[in-house]
Amino acid sequence: MTRRDLFHKWFVYSLGLLPIWLLDAYILPRYPLGGISPMLLPLAAAAVAVLEGAYAGTGFGMGVGLLWELTYPGGFGGLVFGMALAGMLMGAVSQYALSQSYPGCLICSAGVLCALDGLRLARGLLVHTAQLPDMLHVAVPEFFYSLAWTPLIWLLFRAIFNKVGGTKLA
Amino acid sequence: MKDFLRKNGILLLIIALLLSILIGVGSAFLGGNADPLSNVANTVTAPVRGAIAAVADWAEGVYAYVFHYGELQEELDSLRKQVAELEDAVRQGQEASRENEQLRSLLDLQEKRRDFVFESAKVTARSTYNWESFLSLSKGSSAGIEVGDCVITETGVLVGVVSQVGYNWSSVSTIINTDTEMGGIVSRTYSAGVLEGDFALMTQGKMKLNYLPEGAQLVSGDEVVTSGKGDVFPSGLVVGQVEGVFTDPSGQSRYAVVAPLAKLDSLIEVFVIKDFTIVE
Repeated sequence: MTRRDLFHKWFVYSLGLLPIWLLDAYILPRYPLGGISPMLLPLAAAAVAVLEGAYAGTGFGMGVGLLWELTYPGGFGGLVFGMALAGMLMGAVSQYALSQSYPGCLICSAGVLCALDGLRLARGLLVHTAQLPDMLHVAVPEFFYSLAWTPLIWLLFRAIFNKVGGTKLA
Repeated sequence: MKDFLRKNGILLLIIALLLSILIGVGSAFLGGNADPLSNVANTVTAPVRGAIAAVADWAEGVYAYVFHYGELQEELDSLRKQVAELEDAVRQGQEASRENEQLRSLLDLQEKRRDFVFESAKVTARSTYNWESFLSLSKGSSAGIEVGDCVITETGVLVGVVSQVGYNWSSVSTIINTDTEMGGIVSRTYSAGVLEGDFALMTQGKMKLNYLPEGAQLVSGDEVVTSGKGDVFPSGLVVGQVEGVFTDPSGQSRYAVVAPLAKLDSLIEVFVIKDFTIVE
């Protein structure tokens, strides 16, 4: 695969990420369901990691983390490393333990959402910002509502993968 | 293991770690000012945010027109009836109306607080987390907005405090966010307390007025305003209304649940107080 092919491939993946980011950052928060809006960016990282494997998953995860840190309020930089690590782990798990299929993506998505919400719960408990039941009241619906978007995101990145994924451009 | 890591992007992981540290250090050193990378990213995406906000507002307007036409018509009829009644009331007591008008103008925010220097801004995005409550505004440091500036509605109701500023954008931590902490006073009884964000209440769009004095007799509907103590926030900004008074689980202090008057989920335009006079 030439450098031009690689650039083309990841440009198309970035274009795929664009509508998900716009939905996640600017559209869905305007219309929360029961006061909750979903997290779509980790699902995008999971889908690409499952389809492309650990190496590409790390890179795409890093890109997703960077986008998350730079365009959303708050944040302290940890998401760049966190999402890169998550991309690597999800890619490796799907390569060696699961399959590069929708169920694999669903399990990885659930895993990354659990990890993110778990970290938030742990942080909330450590710095005493809230009680566990109150946080679970947000975390549980957020987890399921986010997970409900997995099929759409999987279909989008699966379509991109079918066009430019793997070494198809080579 | 070494081969696995080499094949699976350890180099990318190290780059990600360095970027994380860079952003983290940048955020820590720059206080509320956006780090250069965030500033560039948000400055570039500001027109996108503006465009999406404009399209979504337009679409909501069309939706309301198409699907709530009957309700709008009923509301219009009701308003027409009210206008007719008001006109009748005006005719019956023009003297009282003139006096009322004078009182209204006295109460008008600009008249009341000539020391405020305002900057209007559009709300371009709302909370992107379920864990925090933020608004993104269409103006930033180029319009003189700074971290810590208060944000209010056109009627002087407090919306939040600017927490991060970029060139042409800023983020506002709303009053219900868990990091909110400011002096508050119940205007009817002059009972002072500390207005604080609370995670459980944030999900319901409410906040706490903590550490109430023992003898404070608050009732539902009491208006809560900022006390201005500490000279960080202006005094007298309306925050919300008391919904109920409760005792802390420890049993040692009482707090009131306050429902903000600002409709945080439907704000379109807000005003940033860039400067105000501190009253000693």
